[in-house]
Amino acid sequence: MFSFRQRPLDRSRLRVLRGLSTIFARENNCKARGLRLLRNWLTPQQRAQVDAKRYFDVVGCDSGKLYRIHYYGVTPNVHEIEADGCTRVGWCFAPFGDLVAGDIMLAQKIALETNESGALAVANRLLPKTFSSNLCVP
Amino acid sequence: MAIQIVMDHTGDTRHYFDAKDSQAIAKAEERFKKLTAVGFTAAVRTTAGEVSQTRSFDPTAEETLFFPRLVGG
Repeated sequence: MFSFRQRPLDRSRLRVLRGLSTIFARENNCKARGLRLLRNWLTPQQRAQVDAKRYFDVVGCDSGKLYRIHYYGVTPNVHEIEADGCTRVGWCFAPFGDLVAGDIMLAQKIALETNESGALAVANRLLPKTFSSNLCVP
Repeated sequence: MAIQIVMDHTGDTRHYFDAKDSQAIAKAEERFKKLTAVGFTAAVRTTAGEVSQTRSFDPTAEETLFFPRLVGG
């Protein structure tokens, strides 16, 4: 009698636990942690831009040029934005090692904002033919 | 509690330390020196949200982020 009543209860508990475990795993996997760290270090304006457009802009500390870091995290995802809002050059650089997308984008942001010339010195410069992008995004 | 965040393949590894504990500060400084010696860049945030690179250990920094040296892709 006791075990007969307990079984359905256990199944529902198990289902809840599985659900919680799935949520926990989803929110604490490497990729999610990287994106959370990135969001924490973005300015409020950059966070709003990511939410609305899936990219964020940074200003190079040396030249004052505008760079757009696209949120997909696969290099080359850094595009230099001209005064007319068009992209004519892409830059390909990332921190060494096997890092998650959020970490890569955060390192790119910090590098351009604090040591632009150093970052571009190691980066590969790409012309539009070699990377896909919306060439003009006002 | 102050924190040092080191980017790695798991997302990041976090090292918390008490900024009032001299032993903990010494350990944090040693970690800072080891990481920067192998090419990691250390960055800190101001309260206004501005980011800056730091080349020497700052025991008053609440949050220091380390990322590996940059390479061309």
